Amino acid sequence: MKCTKIQEQFSQYVAHSLSEVANSEVQAHLKTCAVCTKELEELTSFLAMLDSEKMQEPSTNLRTNFKEMLASEIKKNAPKVIPLAPKQDWKSYLKVAASIVIVVGAFLFGKHQADVTKIAQVQEQNKEKVLALLENTSASKRILAVANAEEFNKKDTKIIEALINRLFFDKNANVRSAAAETLSKFSSETIVRDAFIKALETDENASVQIELIQILAKIQEKRAIESMQNLLNNEETPKYVKQQVELNLPSLL
Amino acid sequence: MKHLTDEEIMLQIANNKLEMLTLLFDRYHVRMYNYFNKMVQNKMVSEDLTQDVFLKIIKYKASYNNGNFAAWIFTIARNVFSSYYQKTKKERANEIDDDQLASEVEISESKQEELDFLNKALLQLKTSERELIIMHRFQEIKYEQIAQIIGSSENAVKVKTHRALKKLKEIYFQIDKS
Repeated sequence: MKCTKIQEQFSQYVAHSLSEVANSEVQAHLKTCAVCTKELEELTSFLAMLDSEKMQEPSTNLRTNFKEMLASEIKKNAPKVIPLAPKQDWKSYLKVAASIVIVVGAFLFGKHQADVTKIAQVQEQNKEKVLALLENTSASKRILAVANAEEFNKKDTKIIEALINRLFFDKNANVRSAAAETLSKFSSETIVRDAFIKALETDENASVQIELIQILAKIQEKRAIESMQNLLNNEETPKYVKQQVELNLPSLL
Repeated sequence: MKHLTDEEIMLQIANNKLEMLTLLFDRYHVRMYNYFNKMVQNKMVSEDLTQDVFLKIIKYKASYNNGNFAAWIFTIARNVFSSYYQKTKKERANEIDDDQLASEVEISESKQEELDFLNKALLQLKTSERELIIMHRFQEIKYEQIAQIIGSSENAVKVKTHRALKKLKEIYFQIDKS
């Protein structure tokens, strides 16, 4: 019984990890017991052999596999934080883009509006200028105004009426023939055509008559045939006016 | 980095700094590998089980309670071995047959063969006995820590380790003599 109790302490005895009391107890027993002494010798040599075994190195696969495993674990671990970020960014980018579009759009729209009104204002001012100029005492200014009037839209009846007024009532023949020339640009208007026919009947100036004959032939106004034939029959009509009528009348017949 | 203790590193891992595990791998993978290789005597399996230990460290990092890291990693290693042992229960009968066949192989005087005999002798111990010898003799873990790992008292571990050693010695000399 005592031997087994002693032998249980052998591995610690060999390792010198027994208490002093236990240690001297074992030493005292060993002096008297041959069986235990032999057992201790065997154990000592066995442990020496056991301890001589070195740690073995694993193959490099172990480290390679570990690195792979760790990388995939880190990857798995990370996405928990990331997914919300891009969504948020996407939204805020959209917001920023939208606000930029609104600001720039509002600016451009405002600018465009300003431009439109500005153009309209300028046109309005020009019209007033032209209309005023048409009434000017200077014939050359009136001719200039008549020439400028053709810049305007044909729908602008105020300008057309002013021009027709010049055609009928301007005391200067040059102004009247310039008005006729300008009005020919608006020849699609019935009021203009009527004015041409009436002017041909009433105007006695040869150069204005010639201008009117040329325009009426050009716009193919057949209602003018009668007045033209009247001119031919009228003895007072100058020779070169008659020639002009003879030249243009066939195209209307 | 190098001056950090195992415990400090493990706390950082528990706080999701997983890359720190490389340091613990450097410090422990050889010990883990040798522990398994002594337990199962198979290099390939030992490498797989070692890998498994480090995977489990990540998996259970939250359960690390700031205690002794060596004790904790060996607790994990024991569990890894235990589940491997249960899984291969069916195949074990064949393994034992192989061992007996192997023990009949002629005795050689070379040191390597001496160690082979020792490993064969180890396999003939009960798992719990083998484990104590491996942890105490090969891994040089203190009785106090082994007690912590296997959930026993220090004194009980001392006695059990002694008995296991004695049994191993007898098996070894039996093979040697035969």
